[in-house]
Order: sequence, then structure tokens, then C-alpha cells
Amino acid sequence: MTVTVPILRQGSALIASIQEDLCDSDILNLQSRILEDVIRYRANAVIVDVSAIGILDSFGTKTLIEIAHSVKLRGAKMIIVGIQPDVAISMVLLGLTLKDIPTALDLDHGLALIGET
Amino acid sequence: MQVPAPLDAMVQAIRRDADVISARQMGRALAEDLGFSRPDQALVATAISELARNIVVYADHGEIELTTLQQGDRQGIRIIARDHGPGIADLERALCDGFSTGNSLGLGLPGTRRIMDEFDIRSPPGEGVTIIAVKWQLR
Amino acid sequence: MREVISSSLSDSEGKPEFDQDLVDAMRWFDLSDHDRALTSELGDIADDVGERIIEAFYTHLLADETASRHFRDDAHIAQVKKGQMRYFRELINADLDSSYIADRRRIGSIHERTGVTPTLYIGAYAFYLNKLANVVLDRMEDDPAKAFSMVLSLFKIAHFDMALALETYADTREEAIKARERELSELPTPVLQLRPGLLLIPVVGTLDSYRARALTIQLLEGIQEHRARAVVLDITGVAAVDSAVANHLIQTMAAARLMGAQPVLTGLSAEVAQSLVKVGVTAEALSTAGDLQRGIELAEHLLGE
Repeated sequence: MTVTVPILRQGSALIASIQEDLCDSDILNLQSRILEDVIRYRANAVIVDVSAIGILDSFGTKTLIEIAHSVKLRGAKMIIVGIQPDVAISMVLLGLTLKDIPTALDLDHGLALIGET
Repeated sequence: MQVPAPLDAMVQAIRRDADVISARQMGRALAEDLGFSRPDQALVATAISELARNIVVYADHGEIELTTLQQGDRQGIRIIARDHGPGIADLERALCDGFSTGNSLGLGLPGTRRIMDEFDIRSPPGEGVTIIAVKWQLR
Repeated sequence: MREVISSSLSDSEGKPEFDQDLVDAMRWFDLSDHDRALTSELGDIADDVGERIIEAFYTHLLADETASRHFRDDAHIAQVKKGQMRYFRELINADLDSSYIADRRRIGSIHERTGVTPTLYIGAYAFYLNKLANVVLDRMEDDPAKAFSMVLSLFKIAHFDMALALETYADTREEAIKARERELSELPTPVLQLRPGLLLIPVVGTLDSYRARALTIQLLEGIQEHRARAVVLDITGVAAVDSAVANHLIQTMAAARLMGAQPVLTGLSAEVAQSLVKVGVTAEALSTAGDLQRGIELAEHLLGE
């Protein structure tokens, strides 16, 4: 079973809304697709919406950080939106941080943050 | 160490990526059934995810076994992660933040130990790895 | 030993027939039926001189400013005197059983509540015993050996009695402290919206790990509910922050940040700041402000206003 996360375009931004729990290979797949799309559409921002995700473990977090760094190397910025309260607590207790990656409450706030409202 | 499998245990074989998701969903459902708080449900699921992934990455295959524990008036969930892979040569280092032989943040094992109430890891030479972790319900 | 005594006391109230703990406690004080029989013989002397001793005691007591403050008026003094007569009379010949213990404990807790200090209590006891012992030795001149052993038995029972009272003092006080802590930890922490997007959470009281957990969830759910982009956590009113709680506060703020809200911590005392440094927090990792006013200004700045 492979889950393909839809990547939408809004203006010069890309929005990847993760709809369900992803396995590691799905996340790796998302990683390469986001990078391809950033280049293809000359996007200047990427929003990854994780509001439907029940957990973000060390692999998921590590991959999100990698995606953000690659996106940054392409001259665009990435925002992670929709981390739920219990997911946030688990991440912190596990010792996971998102370092300097901006976060926002939800898609609306994320779009506001990149000036796409 | 041989751990007897209790009759009411739930077991998820771990061979592939997708099994990691099945195992953690099973754990979350059990935590929810037992009335664990939402953050604790997420912690149980996260711990299972970390332990199951270690099996896939380092040992190829193994299993996650979940058991409900009862102690006085509170309940707990015991997670046993078992594999017959190459084992862990240096347990102490494996439990240090930031140490990883694979491609990871090196927070899986130490992080899991932090979020669980009890944590035990055994890796006798040639017998793979057995990790037992318990999360108790907060009263 | 403390366990034995206190458990004998708490158990005794429910089952008056036989009590192993009571038996153990009596053995600890080397109290036997023989002691009881000896002191019972003191009944006549005690009845005879009891009132006089108590009168003398009150003269002594009312001369002391601290002690005399416990009495409202003469009627009150008369009432307490009567109680004291009974109290000492029971010392001489009451059965040392569960109901005796329950009654002593009841009196002990009344003393604690009304501010009769252990010093006052034991002082009164010492006064009475000293006077009574002198009378006993005087009147039994012909058998000083017996008089002496009677007095010793009385002292044993008195010490047993005082132990009961002191245990009660400690228990009552401990309960009061626990009740206060419970009260404080059950105080819900308000989540206030200062303006759209900006939350203020004033934490007051004691932060134990249970309450700290609840606080985390309240804060994170508050962020979601109010769609907050900045949160000011004010801990001016927190009594003490040990490293565990400091760690918890930091984790809570890190979680808020993951949810997209800028956390600002205000009201850190010098001690709290030290606790934070001990758990490895640096000022760069955390937005802090000296007081609430500056904290709110900082949060507004972070919001870009």
C-alpha cells in the first residue's frame, strides 16, 4: 500500500497535505516529489500540513528537517503547519525539535506567514 | 532473556515499513481502549514506531508484542520488541542521544527510554535484541 | 517505630476488639497490665490532690503571657480545667484500648487546631507529673520503693500518651499541608486571550508534575482553540521551581513553538533562572522577559505588531 501525498499549488507556494499516517517509504517519496515540484514550478515556499498525522517520530521529523533544508538550498522556504498538541508533546519528550524551521497553527496561518492570503 | 508470551498478548510481525504503521496503530488503539490520555496514546504509538523501525532497519524482521498490565488500580501497556538480527554491540552507546549506526537522528532508543516509564534492553551475542518498555496510565 | 504507632492509631478507630499494632506499641513503651494496676492505686491520691495541682498549674499558666492568650474568659478557663481533670484522671486508670487512643488523638488534633503547641502541652504534663509524683512520694513514706515504681509506671503511660499526641500533631499538620497543596494544584490555570492571537497564562501556586502536565495540555489546547500565535507564560506566582518543573516548562514552551505559537516566559525569579540554567537552558533558546509588561511587549513584537 503506497500513499501518495497530494501536492497543490497556490500562487508561488506548494502545499503538501498529509492525509494519513505515512510509512517511511511514503515519506521518502514525498521528499523527492516536493523537491522536484519546487524546481519544476519555481516555487518560493512550501507548506507541509501535518494536521491529520497522529505521530511524528524520529524518522518522520528527520525527513521533514531534510526536506526543509533542501528546499532552502533551492532558495525557497518551508513551513510545517498543523502539529497537534499531543504530537507536539511526544516530539518534545522524545527530544525532537524542528530547529529553525518555521511552524504555524494551520494552513491559514501558514499562508499568512508566507504572504499568500 | 526469554520472555514468556502471555496469552492475551497482541503480536504484530515486523518485516516491512507498512508493519511499523500497523504496530503503532494497534498500540494507539489499545492505549485508547485502556483510557490513556491523548498525549500518552501518542507516546505509546511513538515508542512502538521507534522500536518497530529499528527492527526493520537493523534486523530485517522481528515482532512487536503488546500486553496489558494491571498493578493495583492502574493499567499499563508493555511493549516487547524482539528480533533475531545482529544485535547491538555497545548498548550504552546505543542509548546515548545522537548515536546512530544507521541513517537516523540517533534519538530513537534514548528518546523511547525517556518517554516510557520502564525500559529494558538485552542483546546477548548471537540472539538479536529484546527491548521491553512499559507505559503506565497516569492516575 | 513511627509506622507502628501511627498505624495502630489509625487502625484502632475502626476495630476496637483486638489490635496487633496497639499491642506492639504498648510493648515498645514496655507497658503492661502490671503498670496499669500500679497506677490505678494512685486513684485516691490523684482525686484528692488533682484539683489543687490543676489550680496551681493555672496560676502558673496564666502568669505566662503566651499561654494565657488561649483563654477567652473565666468560663472558658473553668471548662478547660474540667477537661484537664478528666484527662489526667484517665491517665491514672482508663483502659489503654482503642477507644482511649482514639480519644487522645481527638484531643491532640483539637490542640493542634487551637494552637496549643507541643511545648505548652508537654509543659503542662510535666508540671502535673512533677507535682503528683512529689505528693505520692510524700504520702507513701512508709513504702518508698512501691511509691517509686508507681510513679515510674505513671511516667510510662504519660510518655505513651505524649507520643500519641505528638503523632497526632504531626499527622494533623501533614494533612493540612497536603490539603493546601491539593487545593493549589487543583486551581485551574486560566488561559486568557489578551487580544486575537495573544494568550496570557498566569501560573499561580505549586507546580507539581501532575499540575505541570495539565498545564501543558491546557496551554497547547488553548493555542488551538484561540488560534494563538504567541503565548506569554507568567510564573511570577509560582512558589518554587525545581529542575524537574523547570524542564517541564521548557518542554511546554518547545511544544507551543512546534504548534506555531511564539512562547515567552516571564516572571522568573533569580532562583528559577538558576534552575533553568541548571537544566541547560540558555537565553537564546528561550524568549524571556523580566516582568509581565515587558513579556507582553516582547510577544507583540514577535507577532510583528
